[in-house]
Amino acid sequence: MSTLVGPERVRGSQGRPLLRPWLPRKVAPYVFVLPFVAIFVAFSVYPMLFTLRLSFTDWRGSGAARWVGWDNYTYLLGNDMFWGSLANSAVLWLMIVPVQVVLGLLVAVLLNNAKIRMRSFYRIAFLVPFVTPLVAVAQIWVVVFDQEFGAVNGLLNLVGLPDVGWLTTSEWAKPTLALLFLWKTTGFIVIILLSGLQSIDASVYEAASIDGASRTRQLWSITVPLVRRTVMFSVVLQTLAVFQMFAEPFVVTDGGPYNSTTTAGLHLYENITRGDLGTGAANSFLLVVVVMGLSLLFVRFLRTED
Amino acid sequence: MTTTHAASPAGTRSARTRATATRPPGQSSRGLPAAVGSQAFLLLLALAFLAPVVWALVSAFKPATQIISDPLGLDLTALTLENYRRMFADVPIGQGFLNTAVVLVTKGAITLFCAPLAAYAFAKYRFPGRDLLFGTVLITLMLPTIVLIIPLLLEMKALGWVNTYQALVLPGAVDAFAIFWMRQVIADVPDELLDAARVDGCGEFGIFTRIVLPVIRPALAGLAVLTVMNIYNDFVWPVVAASSERMATLQVVLSTLAQNITGNRVGADYATVTGELLAAASIALVPLLIVFIALQRHFINGILAGSVKG
Amino acid sequence: MHKGVLMHPIRTTRTAAAVAAGALTLAVTLTACGPAITSGETDAAGTAAPADRLQAPTEESPQGEITIWDRSGDLFNVFEAVIDDFNEVYPDVTVHHEAVDIDAKLQNTLITGADVPDGVFLDDAKVAGISDYLWDLTDVLAPYTDDIAPQKIDVNSTDGAIYGVPFDLDPGLLFYNEKALTDAGIDATGIETYDDLLAAARAYQEAVPGSKPIHLEQSPFLGQLQLEMYASQLGTALADENGELRLDSDEYRQVLGWLDTVNQEGLGTRAEYLSPSDVGALESGDQVFYPWAIWFSFAPEQQLTKTSGDWRAMPLPAWEDGGARSGAMGGSSFVLPKDGENSDLAWLFYEFLMFHEDGYSAVWGENDTYPNGLATSIPAYVPAADPAKPLFGPVEGLGGQDLWTTAVKAGAQIPGGAPAPTWWTGAVDYLGTNVQRMYDGDMTPDEVIEQSTADIQTNLVDRQ
Repeated sequence: MSTLVGPERVRGSQGRPLLRPWLPRKVAPYVFVLPFVAIFVAFSVYPMLFTLRLSFTDWRGSGAARWVGWDNYTYLLGNDMFWGSLANSAVLWLMIVPVQVVLGLLVAVLLNNAKIRMRSFYRIAFLVPFVTPLVAVAQIWVVVFDQEFGAVNGLLNLVGLPDVGWLTTSEWAKPTLALLFLWKTTGFIVIILLSGLQSIDASVYEAASIDGASRTRQLWSITVPLVRRTVMFSVVLQTLAVFQMFAEPFVVTDGGPYNSTTTAGLHLYENITRGDLGTGAANSFLLVVVVMGLSLLFVRFLRTED
Repeated sequence: MTTTHAASPAGTRSARTRATATRPPGQSSRGLPAAVGSQAFLLLLALAFLAPVVWALVSAFKPATQIISDPLGLDLTALTLENYRRMFADVPIGQGFLNTAVVLVTKGAITLFCAPLAAYAFAKYRFPGRDLLFGTVLITLMLPTIVLIIPLLLEMKALGWVNTYQALVLPGAVDAFAIFWMRQVIADVPDELLDAARVDGCGEFGIFTRIVLPVIRPALAGLAVLTVMNIYNDFVWPVVAASSERMATLQVVLSTLAQNITGNRVGADYATVTGELLAAASIALVPLLIVFIALQRHFINGILAGSVKG
Repeated sequence: MHKGVLMHPIRTTRTAAAVAAGALTLAVTLTACGPAITSGETDAAGTAAPADRLQAPTEESPQGEITIWDRSGDLFNVFEAVIDDFNEVYPDVTVHHEAVDIDAKLQNTLITGADVPDGVFLDDAKVAGISDYLWDLTDVLAPYTDDIAPQKIDVNSTDGAIYGVPFDLDPGLLFYNEKALTDAGIDATGIETYDDLLAAARAYQEAVPGSKPIHLEQSPFLGQLQLEMYASQLGTALADENGELRLDSDEYRQVLGWLDTVNQEGLGTRAEYLSPSDVGALESGDQVFYPWAIWFSFAPEQQLTKTSGDWRAMPLPAWEDGGARSGAMGGSSFVLPKDGENSDLAWLFYEFLMFHEDGYSAVWGENDTYPNGLATSIPAYVPAADPAKPLFGPVEGLGGQDLWTTAVKAGAQIPGGAPAPTWWTGAVDYLGTNVQRMYDGDMTPDEVIEQSTADIQTNLVDRQ
């Protein structure tokens, strides 16, 4: 790293007396965050506070709003659809995140092995779904998972299994949606996990091999603990994504069948399209609380001892 | 439910068996069969990941009605450019490309300038208000963006920005994730390096441009590609912010087509619109795919650099 | 040695929680964001003030620019082609015609009031929901009101005001596979009531074992739309003109009971409208009766390649002898937002399109997009829907049947309706979904009615 930038070069081109006065160290961070803060406050914080305030009103988009206190919140907390949407997201989380971590880790470990050929090809292949426009993906899914004509059931029939109503039964719609999400985002998680793997020093394995540890043992006692924080990062990231998931069920199932794929994100969107902006806003802040609680939980659970 | 139960144990089992083949500095006694197994596993998985996209690319050349009635069949003699012809006639996809390009360049530049700079301040300086500001960033990361759309639109109206490039570019120009990620990356740049430069008389901004940026360049490349992909594929905000056809980005064009299928299929031209949509999606995907393949080394190395060894 | 990706996860998340609490206090005190808040009740909704009533322009040759929104697709091209004809009459009105994702954009555009279009193509079921933002068209429509299908006037009316220029009438028809039925020795033309239809379906199933002759819709949205078609035949709808729920009625009990019978006896093919599964059952002769709106005619014309030409359409069976032989299913209208710049000019465009012979002939008659005419709906304007003067030609997919006459005659039988309530689409989560549960065998018709009524009342009606 020291070869990248030598202090001499720095001094050579940038005179010492020139910079110090006009950007003191105490002021510098404020200057650095300023461009970001300007945009952030104007287009994130302001609308967020607006929304927070909206959540205590019955505003429907026109005219004056009426302050309703915690009404929207208590309505949601006593509403089956709201809890149902959270439950749907929780089940989807269970279907997605553990599978994604295991599968992602497996693929990352394989891709981290120099002996595997065509690694560039695999990296691209796993990331192609990630870059495919979602609106096209929705159409693909509807056709591929059709009960009678879809490719998936065609394959099942080949091995003697019966047709499955992938998108038309409430038992299977969630797994199908989970599969779409896995398909679309696992490539990204693989890359993140790969980054964790690559930061492990090869010498650790050499030491372990000399000590006679089997490779399976090495995986579980060396690799997994060392990538724990990377795994945690992925888990938190995907928890946010799963609970906010809106576009996928919106374009593929529209929440059906039987609202079994009405995710937390889709449910709040439905409030908004119904014109019930206050309830939609309240719903989203309840979601923030849920997601924050979960994040804290995972962080604690997966934290390394240090 | 069933997939989880079925897949997790299976996945775990194969993780154990496959892993035997994959230790980097291996003295492989039974390496060969396991390596073949790993290779086969990766190949199958990669094909499963590619198949749906290949299906879409190929189907765009099939007659529209066949896409629905015979999704898996492929009649080579019937291949046609009709979907593309209709799509070009029906939707302003050229204008869409143009608008997307404008947004991509400006919004991308803002993100790539502001995010690392602010992240540098978050990671390497202690200053009053830092934790409050960063905490706010985390909250916005947890807030579903969909709920901000109406407040943002009202803001655009107040600013007189509806149907302008500003409206497409500025909201979300520095997304919370970019700050979050860049902060991790810069935090891992050794403090000694920065202090050494400071001792040598380098100014605060100079440290950023001359020390930090070069060190995190791979991660910046990663951020660049991720940002490009996100901007290119974003459709929720552009659909509402650009209500005029003149301002429609590529994804807005796509979702206008898709609306006829997914919103309500009460249209008479379900099949033809599906054909047009697949054609439009193919056209949208191909440039991104080419850029992605060309830059994949940078991209992947960039993300790999996301956690610098300390 | 491995510095993780998260720096101080616990602390940062805690900070976030603290910030959240702070922001709450801030937002509550920060009155700058958001709409004005009143402490009292919002204004009681009265009848539209005259100021909300659109008036036609009075100039000889009005001039200006209008922007109108349509869904992309074939219909867009049809309307596009009419603009030239319109400009021959009104040369000084420039029409900007845009293909737009209306569902995603309209609500937001109306709320913000920025760059609002002058006219929008909209599903009838969605008109009432946004009527606050729309012109009351009572005065401009007055010369035509008596000549418009009553169901279309009703569905576009709220509190005595009309908010949409009726576009199409979508009579429900019974589509049937004549060839398959004849081969099985069944004469469908004798079907007059839903009991007859049941009997014919049983007979067909006997002749063709394994077949499931009657379509049962699996999409909750379309299923609810179809349910409203059956209800419309009986002169009822989900809500009355005051927005009161009237699901708990003999009419709905009769319709749901009949659907339940079809399902229980194994006589129904459950599939989503024209999904691959649905198409497969239609093509194989397993599904031969399709009670649906006229727009199903597109399927045999374009999508059912194997059985194209085998299909026919007839009026729906009646719920009792002598009852109405059709009900409305779907349909669209044109709405004119008050914030549009030249709403009065947009009215001229729609007036020309719908009520002038040159306009409606160009829409439904032969045109570049539909060489044979637009055979998926009929005009809501009665003088245009003249049995003696067909606008679209015989439909080949229906064996060259004169669909125009069949549809126009059926359309004339549709009883008046009621305005679609603002929450109609939201009700799909309850009613549409519960109908599917009934098909699953998990609910009886009475349970569907009871449960849906309770849910819609608390979650939709009471929260307006």
